[in-house]
Amino acid sequence: MNKDSEIISNTVSLLYPFIILFAFYIILNGHITPGGGFQGGALLSAIFITKYMGIPTNDTDLKNFKIIEKIMFIIIMIIPMIFLFNGLNKKFSFLNEYYLILMNILIGIKVCCGLSIIFFRFVFYESR
Amino acid sequence: MVINIFLMLIIVFAILSIQSNSLRRAVIYLGILSLVSSFCYLLYGSPDVAIAQAVIGSTLSTILYLVALKKYKLFTIYYVLQNTDTEELDSDNTERKVIDIIESFCFERELEPDVVHTSENLENIEAHYQYDVIVLQKERGICLYGNKENYLLDSLQKHLVKKLGNKLNVSYVQNTV
Repeated sequence: MNKDSEIISNTVSLLYPFIILFAFYIILNGHITPGGGFQGGALLSAIFITKYMGIPTNDTDLKNFKIIEKIMFIIIMIIPMIFLFNGLNKKFSFLNEYYLILMNILIGIKVCCGLSIIFFRFVFYESR
Repeated sequence: MVINIFLMLIIVFAILSIQSNSLRRAVIYLGILSLVSSFCYLLYGSPDVAIAQAVIGSTLSTILYLVALKKYKLFTIYYVLQNTDTEELDSDNTERKVIDIIESFCFERELEPDVVHTSENLENIEAHYQYDVIVLQKERGICLYGNKENYLLDSLQKHLVKKLGNKLNVSYVQNTV
C-alpha cells in the first residue's frame, strides 16, 4: 500500500466499472440467484476500499454516509410494515417480486454505507 | 474426496497462520483460509454463504488487518521549532541528537519513525494533525506532548532521559483528549 504506486492506481481505475456492475448484478438478482442485499452491499463498499488503495486521500464526507444509512434504516423498517402487515402481499401477489428487489436494493445501500463508514473511520481517524 | 482435501487445507492454513513468524504473513494465511472455507461452503451447496465469506472474510477483514498493522508500525513525530531564528537555537545540534535518539527508540520497538518538521503553532498541530508525539524545542530543553492513550510515551521519556543524561531538560505533558 505505497502512497503513489502507479500500477495499483491504474489497475484500480480499470476495475471500478466491473466491480460496480458485479455488485449491482448480485443485488438485482438476489431474489432468484445466490447473493442478495448484504453481499452486494459489501461488494459496493469494496469500491471505496479500492479507491483508498489507489488514491489514499481523505476527501469523502462521512456525514453524508451516516445520514443515508439512517434514512435507509427507517425506510427498511417502514416498507415491510406497510406491505406485509396490511396483507398487501396476498391482495396484489404480482408485487412480491418487486418488493424483494426493492428491499435488496435498500439493504445493499445501507450495508455499503455502513461498511464504508467502518473502513474510513478505521483508516483515517482511529489511532493509538 | 475433493471436499476432504479442502477441509484439510483449512487446517493446514490455520496451523500455518498460528506458527508463522511475522504478523503480516499470518494475515495473508488467514485470507487464504477464508477463501478455501468459502469454496467448501460452495461444495456443500450454499453459494449465498460462500459469496459473503469470500467478500468479507478474505477481502474486507484482510485489508482491515493490514491497515491496522501498518498503523501500529508508524510512529509520527512532529518536531516544532517555534522561534524564527532557528539557526541560533540549533547551534549545538540538539535537534539532530533528539531525533536520533527517538529513531533508535523506534528501532528497538520495531516501529517506523516518521519525522515532520514544522514551525506551526502547537495548538494548530494538536487540532488538525494526527500525531504520536510532538517535540517542542525550547531555549533550554525539550518538551514532549502526547496523547494520554499512547502507552509508548512513558518509555520514550525514560529512553530520552537515559540517553541524554542531564544535558537537556526533558519535560513531559499529557493531553487529555
